[in-house]
Amino acid sequence: MGKIEWAMWANEQALASGLILLTGGIVGVAGQFRGWQFAAYAIAAGVFVCLLEYPRSKRAKGTSVERTGQYCFTVCVKSFGPLTRNYYVRAFLHAAICVPGGFMLATVLGCVCLGIASIIYLAAAIRGEHWEPIVPRKDTVRPPPADIKNPPQNPPPRPPPETRRKRVEDLEGAAYDNPIPVKD
Amino acid sequence: MREDFSSCCLFSNKVASTQRGLTTRFTLKRDQGQILWLGANTWLFMKTFLLYFTGQQYHYLYKMLGLGMCISRASASVLNLNCSLVLLPMCRSLLTFVRGTHAVSSRETRRLLDKSKTFHVACGVSICIFSVVHVSAHLVNVVNFSVSYSDDFPALNLARYKGEDPKLIILTTIPGVTGLFLVLILFLMFTSSSYCVRLFNYEIFWYTHNLFIVFYIILMVHMVGGALKYQTNIEAHPPGCLTANQSSTSQRREDEERRCGEEAHFQPHYPQTWLWVSGPLCLYCAERFYRYIRSSDPVTIVTVIRHPCDVVELRMLKKNFKARPGQYVVLNCPGVSSFENHPFTLTTCPTEKKETFGIHLRVVGDWTERFTQMLLPQPRMDLEILPMVQQRRYPKLYIDGPFGSPSEEVFNYDVSVCVAGGIGVTPFACVLHALLDGWTGFRLQRLYFVWVCRELQSFYWFSELLCALHHKLWQENRPDYFNLKLYVSQKDNLQSMSEEKYRPLTSRLLVGRPRWKLLFDEIGKTNKHKRVGVFCCGPKGISKTLHKLCNSARSSGTTFEFNKESFG
Repeated sequence: MGKIEWAMWANEQALASGLILLTGGIVGVAGQFRGWQFAAYAIAAGVFVCLLEYPRSKRAKGTSVERTGQYCFTVCVKSFGPLTRNYYVRAFLHAAICVPGGFMLATVLGCVCLGIASIIYLAAAIRGEHWEPIVPRKDTVRPPPADIKNPPQNPPPRPPPETRRKRVEDLEGAAYDNPIPVKD
Repeated sequence: MREDFSSCCLFSNKVASTQRGLTTRFTLKRDQGQILWLGANTWLFMKTFLLYFTGQQYHYLYKMLGLGMCISRASASVLNLNCSLVLLPMCRSLLTFVRGTHAVSSRETRRLLDKSKTFHVACGVSICIFSVVHVSAHLVNVVNFSVSYSDDFPALNLARYKGEDPKLIILTTIPGVTGLFLVLILFLMFTSSSYCVRLFNYEIFWYTHNLFIVFYIILMVHMVGGALKYQTNIEAHPPGCLTANQSSTSQRREDEERRCGEEAHFQPHYPQTWLWVSGPLCLYCAERFYRYIRSSDPVTIVTVIRHPCDVVELRMLKKNFKARPGQYVVLNCPGVSSFENHPFTLTTCPTEKKETFGIHLRVVGDWTERFTQMLLPQPRMDLEILPMVQQRRYPKLYIDGPFGSPSEEVFNYDVSVCVAGGIGVTPFACVLHALLDGWTGFRLQRLYFVWVCRELQSFYWFSELLCALHHKLWQENRPDYFNLKLYVSQKDNLQSMSEEKYRPLTSRLLVGRPRWKLLFDEIGKTNKHKRVGVFCCGPKGISKTLHKLCNSARSSGTTFEFNKESFG
């Protein structure tokens, strides 16, 4: 029921996976475990994914809630145009990024989580969603009406009061008689 | 909810302000419940950590694995505790029942019930945090199992040979595989519980959160296979003793004492999680079953009334339905959506005289839109044809509930202040209906009712009720009982409420937003040295302002107790 926006959930997952990748990478490099080069890659990949996923997309219908301070990230991500707008690109990008993480124990979890996020992005892309930047709303100053200097001289023509039925203005109320009156 | 969780001072500061000779007392108290929960977690963590750190039966295991073992087991016990506690706040019928009994008279217990959702979130967050700790520690353990493969005590090993790939160890043992699934489910549940997803795509949140049953089933088999073993024969084989083919450089006499009686025997722990988790899980499943049975009887819709500003009132009838003012029900209409459930506060409760109960619902999202379309006939463009009176076939509707909310406490104070924003007036409407039926039976002696709306037309939702209550109290010579203040926050396009019978409302109507501090000062001056209950149901901004005002002390000696109503 209703439009579910899968991309919003995929975005949360991808951001969390980026953080997990980053953490796993730091642990791998700090401990100098076997295969620490993969951990170093995971750090870079995690940072990249976090930066890409931080700005939230604008919802197709309704109000959108921004993350704090996301405007500068929005500008960066917006500048890549169709590469970041399209969720197919994101899905395949995440799938490709996550693969090297699977080779090292510390980053395996980040790899799996990013893989799940990429699947959800694919589902969102199939459903036709795309990324829209949230731009701050500029309040347009309404120009004053053109001619307010000369008020009309005569009252507007009105039919006689008997035929004036108030219920004509209230179309929705006219269609339904309330069983219990609410107001006169 | 976040402000309560993050305030962390346990003492109260007295800051005397020299201006105007007023003393402002800043008290940042934590709930006793929160202190208890934090204390339990800390104590459990330290106790388990020390057990594994210093316990003789874990001596050899500790030598193989190091601190990782202690941290992983300590975090596991904290996880056990939180996994069992996280289910309890979600037993809504049970909490409603507890709220209704007179055992819950102290404010501390009531606040615990009010904050049940916060507690659930706190337990959930701590499950996530400690899962991270637990997984990290176990990853280190797996590496150590592989690297420090013990030839002396082969029973202790999890790896099959020295230097086995840790990933292989994880994927071929039950704890490893179940752990992987648990982490994945937790990841799904956590990412879909963020505020945005809950607000805009509630279905994703609901369906992923219902994976908790899979989580618990896997959790209970997580320990099967016993990766960590303890030594059973400490007396015969004191840890650190020398075996027959070992010798030490110290003297012979000491050698004799430290010889081992027999080989070390190891045994894995039995899975303990089910001890912690099965109780609350059974309770929660019983509660869901009970709610399902209770709501399987559809309600009869008696009337549907249109109100201005997109509000529809629904009056219903159901057998054996009892509710108290301030409670809410959850509606399910299979004709609109089979799995969506939406909460609505009751605006009229069933009484002995009248069995119907009602809700007011505002048409905001697509569920409410579709629902009202099914209830009301469509407006017709051609008005020459009068609408025919036809037999309305209402859709089938199921309700689950009623569930309790903090607004039930309005009657238990001497003086109460109810602040409503827009459609948030619904819990208080039920309170007013109850007062209209009989105001003498309650402890409440004075009620301040502040209702802030954007448009004037919204006041028509309950104009009859307000005027009726006002007149009744004036007739019965208690004009000071009910103090009404209406505010219209939108200053442009003001209409007027011109009907004569609504004079009590128009004479108490003010344009603009209310000035809360002045209002509270006035209430404080007229109710000196009293305990005033403040109930707010409206936008977060108002709620925050009121909470802050309640916490600042007054010269009149009045204490304001804030009771927060939370949605969703």
